[in-house]
Amino acid sequence: MQFLNDYSNRELNIWAELVLDLIVSIYFFPKLFLLIISGDIHSNESIILITTTIFISIAYSIVVFTIINIFKESEKKDERDYIFELKSYKISNTIFQISILFLICWLFFTPLGNHYEFTPTLIAAFLIIITLFCSAVKSVSLLYFYRRSI
Amino acid sequence: MGKQKIKNQIRRLRFEASEMTQAELAEKAGVTRQTIIALEAQKYSPSLELAFRISKIFDVPLEEVFQYN
Repeated sequence: MQFLNDYSNRELNIWAELVLDLIVSIYFFPKLFLLIISGDIHSNESIILITTTIFISIAYSIVVFTIINIFKESEKKDERDYIFELKSYKISNTIFQISILFLICWLFFTPLGNHYEFTPTLIAAFLIIITLFCSAVKSVSLLYFYRRSI
Repeated sequence: MGKQKIKNQIRRLRFEASEMTQAELAEKAGVTRQTIIALEAQKYSPSLELAFRISKIFDVPLEEVFQYN
């Protein structure tokens, strides 16, 4: 409960986002790597894994964000919030662009004979990894900006 | 953010204005209490619009509230 008192509604929402990223990572990545190792990445199992991950994210968001907004009064956004959001979006967007560039380079420089490895499922999995990472970076940088200015 | 070049006298002016609370000032200025806390701690430089709003609330010239070092 002390944790709830120490943080504002906005900061708690950011923490919840960060925990969501962690939960998804813990659930998604080990199973994804197992599928890659076993060579089943192109099977229906990987589609089921991605769908389940998205379902878990939606269910978690509904429950946790509702609880936070019930127990902690929400605040109206002001100029400081918008500045911090812009800064963190800028950082996460830069990382997203660099990651996508790396993915494109990897695709581009892979020898022609190996291109069959890049199935839509595998590319979707990589995009989820990149999105998760960028989301975590955004949350961490936002928390950093809020904590630093108090 | 680091060390701000813009200093302010908000805390002093609040106490001179019948010990106005941070929450009251935040409500009048249309910002959150966290923003007032950050301003008083000299860790946030407000926009020009917010600076004018705050000086209007205290009914003093802008340069009496904010100083540029």
